[in-house]
Amino acid sequence: MRKIDQQVWISQEDLTNDPALINQLDSERSDINISSLLEDDQTVGVQANRRDFLKLLGFGFTAATLASCETPIKKAIPYTVATDEIIPGIANYYASTFVNGGDVCPVLVKTREGRPIKIEGNSLSSMTQGGTSSRAQASVLSLYDISRLKNPGTISGDSITEMSWADLDATLGSKLNTGSRIRIVSSTIMSPSAKKTLREFTTQFPNTKHLMYDPISSAALLQATQNCFGIKAIPDYKFDQAETIVSFNADFLGTWISPVEYAAQFVKGRKVNPQNPKMNRLFQVESQMSLTGSNADHRILVKPSEQGSSIIALYNLIASKTGASSISGGEVNEKAKAMLSKASDMLIANKGKSLVVCGNNNLDQQVIVYGINQLLGNIGTTVNFNRVSYQRQGNETEINGLISEMSSGQVDVLIIWNANPCYDLPMANAFKDAMSKVSTRISLNYIMDETTTNCSHSAPVHHYLESWGDVEAKTGIFSLIQPTINPIFNTRQAEHSILTWCKSQKLDTKAEQPYYEYLKSSWKEMFPSLSWDETLHNGVYEVPSGNALNSNFNGNPASSASKINSTSNSGLELSFTESVNIGGGQYANNPWLQEIPDPISRCSWGNHVGIPITFDGDRRFIALENIETDGTIVNLVINGQNTGISSIRQFGQMQGTLSAALGYGRIQGGVCGTGIGVNLYPYLKTDENGFTQYYIDGIDLKNAQEGIEKSFACVQHHHTIGVTAIEKSSGSKINADEAALVDDFFKPIIKGYQGSLTDRSILRTSNLSNLKENLEHNKEKREEAQNLNSKSLYPGFDYNYNSGHHWGLHIDMNSCIGCSSCAVACMSENNVPVVGKHEVARHHEMTWLRIDRYYYGDVENPSVAYQPMMCQHCNSAPCENVCPVNATNHSSDGLNQMAYNRCVGTRYCANNCPYKVRRFNWYDYTESDLFPWNSRMMASEKDKPYYAENLVRMVLNPDVTVRSRGVIEKCSFCIQRIQEGKLNAKKENRQLHANEVKSACQTACPTGAITFGDMNNPESDLSKKLNNPLNYIVLEEIGVKSVVNYSMRVTNKDESIES
Amino acid sequence: MSGGVVAPVRRPLIEGHKTYHQITEDLCSPTEKAPSKAWIIAFIISVSVLAFGLFCIFWTIWMGIGTWGSNRTIGWAYDITNFVWWIGIGHAGTLISAILLLFRQRWRTGVNRAAEAMTIFAVICAALFPAIHVGRIWVVFYFFPYPNTRGSIWPNFNSPLLWDVFAISTYFSVSLLFWYTGLVPDFASIRNRASGLRKKIYNSLSFGWTGSAKHWQRWESLSLVLAGLSTPLVLSVHTIVSFDFATSVIPGWHTTIFPPYFVAGAIFSGFAMVQTLMVMTRKILKLQEYITIEHIESMNKVILVTGTIVGVAYLTELFIAWYSGYVYEQFAFFNRATGIYWWSYFGMMTCNVISPQIFWVKKLRRSVFVTFFMSIFVNIGMWFERFVIIATTLARDYLPSSWSYYRPTWVEIGIFIGTIGLFFTFYMIFTRVAPVVAIAEIKHILKVGGDQYIGENATHKNQHDTHSLSSTNHH
Repeated sequence: MRKIDQQVWISQEDLTNDPALINQLDSERSDINISSLLEDDQTVGVQANRRDFLKLLGFGFTAATLASCETPIKKAIPYTVATDEIIPGIANYYASTFVNGGDVCPVLVKTREGRPIKIEGNSLSSMTQGGTSSRAQASVLSLYDISRLKNPGTISGDSITEMSWADLDATLGSKLNTGSRIRIVSSTIMSPSAKKTLREFTTQFPNTKHLMYDPISSAALLQATQNCFGIKAIPDYKFDQAETIVSFNADFLGTWISPVEYAAQFVKGRKVNPQNPKMNRLFQVESQMSLTGSNADHRILVKPSEQGSSIIALYNLIASKTGASSISGGEVNEKAKAMLSKASDMLIANKGKSLVVCGNNNLDQQVIVYGINQLLGNIGTTVNFNRVSYQRQGNETEINGLISEMSSGQVDVLIIWNANPCYDLPMANAFKDAMSKVSTRISLNYIMDETTTNCSHSAPVHHYLESWGDVEAKTGIFSLIQPTINPIFNTRQAEHSILTWCKSQKLDTKAEQPYYEYLKSSWKEMFPSLSWDETLHNGVYEVPSGNALNSNFNGNPASSASKINSTSNSGLELSFTESVNIGGGQYANNPWLQEIPDPISRCSWGNHVGIPITFDGDRRFIALENIETDGTIVNLVINGQNTGISSIRQFGQMQGTLSAALGYGRIQGGVCGTGIGVNLYPYLKTDENGFTQYYIDGIDLKNAQEGIEKSFACVQHHHTIGVTAIEKSSGSKINADEAALVDDFFKPIIKGYQGSLTDRSILRTSNLSNLKENLEHNKEKREEAQNLNSKSLYPGFDYNYNSGHHWGLHIDMNSCIGCSSCAVACMSENNVPVVGKHEVARHHEMTWLRIDRYYYGDVENPSVAYQPMMCQHCNSAPCENVCPVNATNHSSDGLNQMAYNRCVGTRYCANNCPYKVRRFNWYDYTESDLFPWNSRMMASEKDKPYYAENLVRMVLNPDVTVRSRGVIEKCSFCIQRIQEGKLNAKKENRQLHANEVKSACQTACPTGAITFGDMNNPESDLSKKLNNPLNYIVLEEIGVKSVVNYSMRVTNKDESIES
Repeated sequence: MSGGVVAPVRRPLIEGHKTYHQITEDLCSPTEKAPSKAWIIAFIISVSVLAFGLFCIFWTIWMGIGTWGSNRTIGWAYDITNFVWWIGIGHAGTLISAILLLFRQRWRTGVNRAAEAMTIFAVICAALFPAIHVGRIWVVFYFFPYPNTRGSIWPNFNSPLLWDVFAISTYFSVSLLFWYTGLVPDFASIRNRASGLRKKIYNSLSFGWTGSAKHWQRWESLSLVLAGLSTPLVLSVHTIVSFDFATSVIPGWHTTIFPPYFVAGAIFSGFAMVQTLMVMTRKILKLQEYITIEHIESMNKVILVTGTIVGVAYLTELFIAWYSGYVYEQFAFFNRATGIYWWSYFGMMTCNVISPQIFWVKKLRRSVFVTFFMSIFVNIGMWFERFVIIATTLARDYLPSSWSYYRPTWVEIGIFIGTIGLFFTFYMIFTRVAPVVAIAEIKHILKVGGDQYIGENATHKNQHDTHSLSSTNHH
């Protein structure tokens, strides 16, 4: 009953609370049924009043209007509850470890607002000492790879039927039972916890076998170590303790086992003190120009098939000089023999302080190399077993057994874990065929690659930046992997999957991060007293050096020697190399690594066959088949079959040999890796022990008569500064490259003039023996230039920014090995766009930092200098005064800076830059423009350019503007880092510390070749390096007053060898 | 000689014993008649080429400068080559109007109108390139020193590109004014012969010119002032264009000889273009009696002289490069002649220096046929000169690591031929709407040469009156 107590009433009945009225009012509210009202015209007329009608009308209108509006998608979601760690605008660094197969690098991950955006080296690691590789630098981009597998599922062909993890686990649970014959194929696994998970799995499923292989194998070295020392691991090489190093085809600075570590060690012996010049000496025995060969003092050219003989030759030379018994064989070419003899003298002179390494995947060669080290007393010193390395554990000889098992139906379940055997094995096709006989094929791979396509189930894994884990790269040298972002997709880390499938009791599936708990408890078991938090914070944990392993040499070089084949004499020999950036193809889907040119060939996006080059004694370099232009398509005739591939006229390639990189020509390599280059894995052969041999002989090369490869992406067309050769007509030594600098038309009548390249003040080199004269020469030239430069129209102008900061750079060209990690770091730090093969071919690449590579010295076996080249921040910058709109100008601390907003894009500055370091945005590479219609695809993207994907854009550094089409950009000396340093100092009300700001290239460098700093601060590392008499400034005499100091490239050649 | 020695009578500058009326008739008629078939065909071709050029410009702006063949090493190539080429071509018009006026070269009146028109159109073609070659044409107004809310930020007055903006805009404005001023009385002449709408249009174009003495007086004063303004421009514009290169640090660009060398080259190419146009115009519009062989010969003499100056400049550059002892400079020139782009250097030397030397022979310099081909040659040669200076130099500069090669794309070629289409479209419209020979001015010179001229040093018989040297006041 309603009681009316208001002051307003509508009738007498209302005022008196007449029950009839109240009933009527109540029923009015409850009994109205709109649909019935609408059905019956009469009742509508009576009971549906105007207000109801308007309500309905209004609702209908609003609903219709709302439906037509698109709800704006808000991409930035504010934190409802702010996290402790994340302060917008402030970067957080987390220690982690980059791991991919056998590649390892302890790193710090820079995250901004929860996104990893940059990789830095972890300087607490004794292995890498803060250095990084280009692969580690680029790994952050792979996190945001658009080709990633996003959900678990079943695979048929290229398509994947997605399902939930629970369903997948249930499905697989029915297939995995204790009787199942399970085979796990993986790349090298260095993680103790991952191995523990595998042990648990094997305990649960006893019929499990785990096989590891590495695409570029060191299995023979492992086997040799096993045979000679009883240890199945890679010894701990000490390049820093070696005065003389002989490397048989081991590219230890570029790709071999642990290049970052070895480079840092090697370079310790390359720093030249002008007062007391002393350097180590490296002999590289190889046929192709490798990164290590390019840094060697002497390259001893032998054919790939001659490697065995040359190792025996060196053994015998040392044996004869040390009174040991010689072994059979050892016939090598005369030149090599003479050089090996000299090398042996030096090795003997440095007994115990020398090192011989071998990169050939041949058991007997490795045994003899151990024998040589044994003769030299290097075992226990430079070949050390205190901390053996686990960075290569693969053994491809087991794969053949697996193939036959699979094809005869003896395998029930095959698990592929971060391996791609359907691509990166010589027997990839056989593997693929055999695989189809296995009923359950599970892929724990990252993308839909060649192998995953042939699997039945996909259990996609995390990126390492989303994972927990640990690594023991060398005995007692641990590092931890911690996630720096929540998993982006519905992936699960491999260890978690394995533990789930074997229903491990130790995996707490209820935990928020089950594998984290598992890892933590495994570490608790391993190191009960260790502080987990501190270890995680540091990222590395190094067990104090323990007991040395038994390292008595038990090898038998003599019997090994008898098994070494003599040098082949059939046809051309082709050596297969590992690309510094792409590896064995594992990194093919990383556009940064594709775009950064190979340090030697200076080509990006593809592999090419290097063909030897010689001088015709007159004015032309000639190559096989009269190939005159880089990029010419040739046919490799292998077993009568033609393989078309583009060629490069490669300086330093031995006559009668060819070389080409593996890792290309993937058919399912993701958006960026597919269809780039030619796959050469199928041409690899195995030796009698089953080890993959990275060369073949008896091949031929023919000009395919198809001209130059379309989009042949070589960034450096001219390769040399002064390669010398004997001129036929005069019999005297001339600069062959200068003689060749005339067009074909004038070839018969004119010769390029001598001095046109060598007289340029670009490259200053010296040998240790004549360092004094060259320093004198350098001093003279610099004084001359400085005298010229002192004649100024504005004599009072302070070009040196004497007050405040004055930023500068020093590059030690003697430490620079050309590895390219600085170039990738620069791309990563500064949001440098990737432009793709076609654009690189048109010389539209955007790299702010490039590494110019010049050959000099003897034409057939030249020396190499690497010159990192970036904006020189000239104090009297030619780019600044020509800009019509003041878009580029000088800061008060000596920086040459770009205002992108102001840039109109006349490119006048780029033309007027003597160093050609300015880059123009020819197209809208990043879709940062207002116009989405004109974007360029970089590789085989379908919908959008790679950099326009929101996923990929997560890698962008928010402190650096993404440039739009039509503006110039260039190296800024990492101005965002300078600014950050200045702001931090200001907040703390103090001066900027001497070495507080470091550029991205500097921190990435594994050899400490780059030093950034304040030239006005005498305490800075930079200032201390500025007075070195080795220093020079590129193009000093043109008066632009560059602030980048280079120090001379010094080699340690024994002149008696070369002559 | 029976008649005694008399001063040789000058050849008349206008042939065919014209009367003043006939001049008006001859020169106004092309604007009054229906166009000839040849004109229509040529016009359609020009407009089509122009349309393709516009499409290519549109494509460039739409897609980006990446559609061109330039690259990280060679930032300028076809674009600035064409810019300098067109600017150079424009110079002849100004030279004829201003400098030849000062030198009292009366023959200039036969060709000055067309040459000035050529200047205007060539400058339009030229000015197109600096505008479209920039990466962001939508902010090209940053070039101009206008007050703004950004600070204010002014343009960089140190930059030769900014000087270009001023030089070219001044040049264009003065040339346009000069040309239009000359057209005013002629438009009035056409107006007087016209009726209806046409009369109204020409009346407004001639600003209601009545031909009063006051008008003529003011007109002549203005012409004189504009001639005075134009005179330094002939020298300054290409000097400033040459500064684009001369003030840089790039070997092969950084050269003090550039200003005179560029100006000489500009006049050289300008006269060649005038020849190309005049030979065609006089034939098509049947103006052989106004634009005579004498004109052609005079201009060929200019071509010969300027071509030789340019040749001396080329040789001086080579000498200085050698003499400097500076390796970068030496290599730059060595490379120009023998490097990958030798053919463009060869084309430049042949077309600009060697081939014009045939004009030492009087017969050849008076041959219309030879002149036409030579004028095309010179234009090609001067195009190559700019290409050599710009692209070849950049392709091989300081650091060998960055050396590159340039080849144009279809877009760039399209834009270039598009500007040729633009030029001819404008020029052909011009021949239909305005007298291609300045009527008012040419009437001045009708009586300059003797109308009794019967041949060189010929003896007049029955000749009583002296040569009637007309005053220049007739019109």
